[in-house]
Amino acid sequence: MISKSALLKVILLGDGGVGKSSLMNRYVTNKFDSHLFHTIGVEFLNKELDVDGHHATLQIWDTAGQERFRSLRTPFYRGSDCCLLTFSVDDGQSFRNLANWKKEFTYYADVKDPDNFPFVVLGNKLDVPERQVSGEDARQWCRENGGHPYFETSAKDATNVASAFEEAVRRILALDDRADHLIHNNTVDLQRKSHPDPSCC
Amino acid sequence: MAANCVQKVLFELEGVFIHPSSDEDGIEPDLLVSGTLRIVDKEAEVFVEYRPLEEAVDPSNMLCAGKDSSSVMEWDQCSGEKSKSLIETQQSYETEWDMINAVSFKKKTFTNGDGCVNPSQERSRWAFSVSVGELRCVTLKVEGWSFLLLTLKEARSQLPTLHFHQGGSTQFLDSLRRVTLLSPSPEDETCLLVSTPNRALSQSFENLLDDNNFGLVNQKFRKDPYVTTLGGFSKVTNYIFDAFRGTEEQHQRPPEEVADLLSEVIPGLEINQQEEPGFEVITRMDLGPRPEVSRRPPLSAEDWTKHQDPEGRMTSISKLKKLIFKGGLCHAVRKEAWKFLLGYFPWDSTLEQRKVLQRDKTLRDYRSLIEKDVNRTDRTNRFYEGMDNPGLVLLHDILMTYCMYDFDLGESTELLLLGGMSDLLSPILYVMENEVDAFWCFVSFMDQMHQNFEEQMQGMKTQLIQLSTLLRLLDLTFWNYLESQDSGYLYFCFRWLLIRFKRELSFQDVLRLWEVMWTGLPCQNFHLLVCCSILDSEKQKIMEENYGFNEILKHINELSMKLDVEEILQKAEGISQQIQSCKDLPPSISSILGLEPDLCGSDPTHSGASPPLRPRPPLRRPDTRTSTSTSTSNGLLRASSAHNGCTVAFSS
Repeated sequence: MISKSALLKVILLGDGGVGKSSLMNRYVTNKFDSHLFHTIGVEFLNKELDVDGHHATLQIWDTAGQERFRSLRTPFYRGSDCCLLTFSVDDGQSFRNLANWKKEFTYYADVKDPDNFPFVVLGNKLDVPERQVSGEDARQWCRENGGHPYFETSAKDATNVASAFEEAVRRILALDDRADHLIHNNTVDLQRKSHPDPSCC
Repeated sequence: MAANCVQKVLFELEGVFIHPSSDEDGIEPDLLVSGTLRIVDKEAEVFVEYRPLEEAVDPSNMLCAGKDSSSVMEWDQCSGEKSKSLIETQQSYETEWDMINAVSFKKKTFTNGDGCVNPSQERSRWAFSVSVGELRCVTLKVEGWSFLLLTLKEARSQLPTLHFHQGGSTQFLDSLRRVTLLSPSPEDETCLLVSTPNRALSQSFENLLDDNNFGLVNQKFRKDPYVTTLGGFSKVTNYIFDAFRGTEEQHQRPPEEVADLLSEVIPGLEINQQEEPGFEVITRMDLGPRPEVSRRPPLSAEDWTKHQDPEGRMTSISKLKKLIFKGGLCHAVRKEAWKFLLGYFPWDSTLEQRKVLQRDKTLRDYRSLIEKDVNRTDRTNRFYEGMDNPGLVLLHDILMTYCMYDFDLGESTELLLLGGMSDLLSPILYVMENEVDAFWCFVSFMDQMHQNFEEQMQGMKTQLIQLSTLLRLLDLTFWNYLESQDSGYLYFCFRWLLIRFKRELSFQDVLRLWEVMWTGLPCQNFHLLVCCSILDSEKQKIMEENYGFNEILKHINELSMKLDVEEILQKAEGISQQIQSCKDLPPSISSILGLEPDLCGSDPTHSGASPPLRPRPPLRRPDTRTSTSTSTSNGLLRASSAHNGCTVAFSS
């Protein structure tokens, strides 16, 4: 089976300071810097990976969570294959803002079928002892808002970061219109729909 | 129906000629057809239309037909069908304005003096109306006068050549550019390919404008003019170019509309109404060769001391600044020299005066700020909990203090700190190695950079527009390419401008770049020429690889830490000399760069010299908070001119 790499665009959204850039850097370069500068506008990195026998190139788009940079980031939502909604477990407000982020994404990405669009929810900063958001609250939100997979991550100690991105790829590949992404591939097993239990924490 | 349709005449020019028989019989002066050329926006579609004047009508009627815009509207309204098809549209037109089926052009041989067709019919045959979307390319040729050939996508069709005996071809092309993209054909420079811009994406930006029922904090978002501006950005830049160019206003948007739009975007910026002769060449402005310039080694501590008199006053300041501009400073000199460059120390102060100044600031103002006004809990924002690096603590303490110092910023400190200010402070703190000096130098620097960080980001809007204006002059081809990739508003330069290349260069190179820019040489807004310099180096790659919207951003982002500061500065200085020696510099450009129209160009050998010295701003009074408020609430350009000169290298 010859399979060329599919280019999958995933976008990290969430409040400023929840760790979007740190998650991306941990995943792509396996490094962590607690004093990383905040993102200005939009930045992105590519990462090659194999998921369940499929080779894919993830184009990870990291966005500035700050409101003031909103008009700089929204034009880049279009064409996303998956959206990673990110909050910080030690910041209740960032969790409550998830719905707004989802709404902003759906609006600007011009998602045709929002109910079936793959979102993955990430509760970051698991390493911080003082939690404001319980895993149960987060899972409940995910259930009630479209059954999104939920991962509790720590970019600092690398917990679950790769799993979350891999799940994003699985969700994309599982989509019915995935043929769009694989149009340049010779053969890819499109029937695979197996998902491990995403609620891993 | 007709009343509902909005149609606008975007361009109108009388005295455009067709030479009907020149192909067959050579020039027949008697048979020139004179007429009116228009660009008309009919709902979503834009048409180029040509209508010959009737020979039979008497001169008064001719005048009326040509100039009475109400007749145009009347005609516009009766063609108000929403049909996209040319055929359907054609049927609703008045006979005179009938679209000539281009095929019939070729079939019919115009027989001169035949007599069997009445002249008015003959002439109306030359009328045409063609959707801009139908155009493949526009070819501009000059042979004594300019003439334009409009080529349709449909290969069999041909429109008559339009002769601009009375000028106006450039205005026509500029107006056309506003509704479509014209890019020079690789094979033939005179041939401009017409392409329809990606409306979907610009829509994405424009959606931001009227996005009422959505947002994280709806009310705030909706009010945010920054969103609004970037939203319609490519549109806005176009209007601004039009306004700068001046002549076309009567042909399209009423000047007051442009003015409103502009004042919304750039308060204090005046629309330049005058038009200088020869400015037509904006489409192909020849700036002349770019001079080769060289950089010098950094100014040594010894050289610095040589420029001090026995009491500690700096001497031959303009020469000193020129040296700093050409080579920067040795690191040992920075701690002292930056205080002058940033305006914390006046250049002509004595050592004694400076000691008093520092003591005053330390004991009176600073302490009172910290101890009386600053809530300690604010200074230990939860954002920095757990940070044990003393340098970072200091950095954040200074920022917190600044936030208290400058109430105009009016946002939560957390947002401010996220907003890039720490990028601006850290090199200063690194050089000063002292909290108090760093604070006051930072205050001076923020005087220039303030507007970047205000909620409305006025400084960012202005700079992006100015940069776009400059780039368009320097490199229209590249600018057109960026436009074609929905990138004409240069969003990818946002980070460069927001924090003055802080993240694009290595830390040491940032120090060099900043001190060079703080000299205020060789012109105002030199940092915009630095942007042009970088873009100039990247344009070939971007265009050859045919980068799109995403790739351009990625490419520019990835330049970070790969740029050579001396190379950039060298090219930027070359560009500034190139522009300054240009004779017919558009006023928009002179105004951005703060060039005196009389000086620039008249004496090219003078280019690169320091700008005329302006009065130094008064010594900052740190204890008067109100003065800060006043200066920051000024319009951008007013603020910049007030600060221009010794302390502020460029307006932000």
